[in-house]
Amino acid sequence: MFEARIKKQLGSDGAHPFNMDVDIKGGGGITVLFGSSGAGKTSVLRAVAGILTPDQGRISLGGRIYFDSSTGTCLPIQERRIGYVFQNHLLFPHFTVEHNILYGIRDHSRATARQRVRELLSMLGIGKTARRYPRDLSGGEQQRVALARALASDPSIMLLDEPLSAVDVATRSRLLEEISVIQERSGIPFLYVTHNHSEAVRLGDAMYVLDEGRIVQTGTPLEIFNSPRSAPVARVVGTENIFVGNIIEHRIDDGTTVVDIGACRVQVSYCDLPAGGRITVGIRSEDIILSRECLTQTSARNVLKGIVRRIILETDKAELVVSCGVDFKVSITPATIRILDLKVGTEIYMLIKARAVHLLA
Amino acid sequence: MIWQTLRLSLLVVGIATILIGLIGTAFGYILARCNFRGKDILDAVLTLPMILPPTVTGYYLILILGRRGLLGGPLYDLTGWTVTFTWAAAVIAATVIALPLMIKSARAAIESVDTEYEIASRIMGKSEWETFFRITLPLAKRGLLAGIVLSFARAFGEFGATLMLAGNIPGRTQTMPLAIYEAVASGEDERAMWLALILTGISITVVYLTSRLSRPRKSA
Repeated sequence: MFEARIKKQLGSDGAHPFNMDVDIKGGGGITVLFGSSGAGKTSVLRAVAGILTPDQGRISLGGRIYFDSSTGTCLPIQERRIGYVFQNHLLFPHFTVEHNILYGIRDHSRATARQRVRELLSMLGIGKTARRYPRDLSGGEQQRVALARALASDPSIMLLDEPLSAVDVATRSRLLEEISVIQERSGIPFLYVTHNHSEAVRLGDAMYVLDEGRIVQTGTPLEIFNSPRSAPVARVVGTENIFVGNIIEHRIDDGTTVVDIGACRVQVSYCDLPAGGRITVGIRSEDIILSRECLTQTSARNVLKGIVRRIILETDKAELVVSCGVDFKVSITPATIRILDLKVGTEIYMLIKARAVHLLA
Repeated sequence: MIWQTLRLSLLVVGIATILIGLIGTAFGYILARCNFRGKDILDAVLTLPMILPPTVTGYYLILILGRRGLLGGPLYDLTGWTVTFTWAAAVIAATVIALPLMIKSARAAIESVDTEYEIASRIMGKSEWETFFRITLPLAKRGLLAGIVLSFARAFGEFGATLMLAGNIPGRTQTMPLAIYEAVASGEDERAMWLALILTGISITVVYLTSRLSRPRKSA
């Protein structure tokens, strides 16, 4: 349905040059491009839109070729029929909301065009803003107008570049729902760039993780977040604890493998590598359970004794650094600190399921 | 006589300002948005009339447009007509002298428009031309207007190049600044004063009206 193979040397004049080399295939749903800033996500969207010309590759949508370096095809920006929602909205400041949306409507009579604007505005619940200027709108309203404007052009594909980064949490949640409904109704593919986990999980039918211009893992968002396959992916999706270790032994009877990660050992799900081999493992900081007592009868395969080294307190969460020879980051609620009476120097046990220790290639 | 001079001056400056607005905006856009070899040289050449003494610019204009000039020569041979010592020459002199101000203002005004707006417009299916007229131009409006007013004021006061190319023929090429010079030189003090006052009054009015018109709308 939608296909983009893009090779491009990026930032050759800047401080951080890197080669973009991606191959993305999207179905009819929402495809998420996930990655930290500077990973090249926006460049992918810009190449699809025609703002950025790849050095090599092919971009096509439903049989229509936008770009093909082998035949020298490069469709001009204005002929690609793209709906683009920019990170900073880019609503035209000298147009009213109505005028902004009208601007994108192609080949319609004036009356039908105005009718379409009214439909879009009421669908997004911003009918009252029609005669206002963008500067008089709230962040959420601006975002809705940007969505309406992109949809107004009757696009063949929607490109959304971190569209919700500038709105508050409550608005974000509502808009996520609306975006997913809009996608289902319109039936056109959406390419959605984000570095926010909840957006990716709630919207993504498929997800590509980008790092330094390359795709490092593909799958559904949940699959990737629950089991990142390599250290770069783990870093990008936010696995805070990454260790390089040696495989000590395989315990065939309970299906686990023991890995030495320096000063301590962890049991992980069985892996098909010879003993003595090196392996990278990742543990998400929220997958670690803390206990003041040493639990012996527990389903957690790993019970590690450590000492609280550092407590980083934020308003709604806290992060501990627990050392048992190597440092673990543990994410808990501020209430837990009070209930367990945690201080720097407190002895503590960490409980980690074998399944929560991800094997990273 | 004063009114005739004023009428001629306003006609010359009016046409010059229109030409300056169009040519200056076009060059401003090219300098702001296009990248090509020799752009710096073009920029320098276009700035020259602002740096050189107007008499020198006028002298070059004679070399180019005069009866035996680079372009003026062939034109004279062909038609028997030459632009020197006509009111059109006064228009050309005023246009060339004030153009750099407009180009500089237009370039700055257009550069201040975020190119992402233009990209957004292109993505919405608009051509480069439509994008220029409906997005870039309106967003650069205030800076362009300021440039036009500055150029108008400069063209209105133009003396040196006009004298060189158009001469000082009362009723035909004598604009306000030239008339003031002649009045002072021939001791007609009262006439000089009235001319100077009228010129000052018009300049102040134009600048004042423009600053009122371009005042930002109250926003929430």
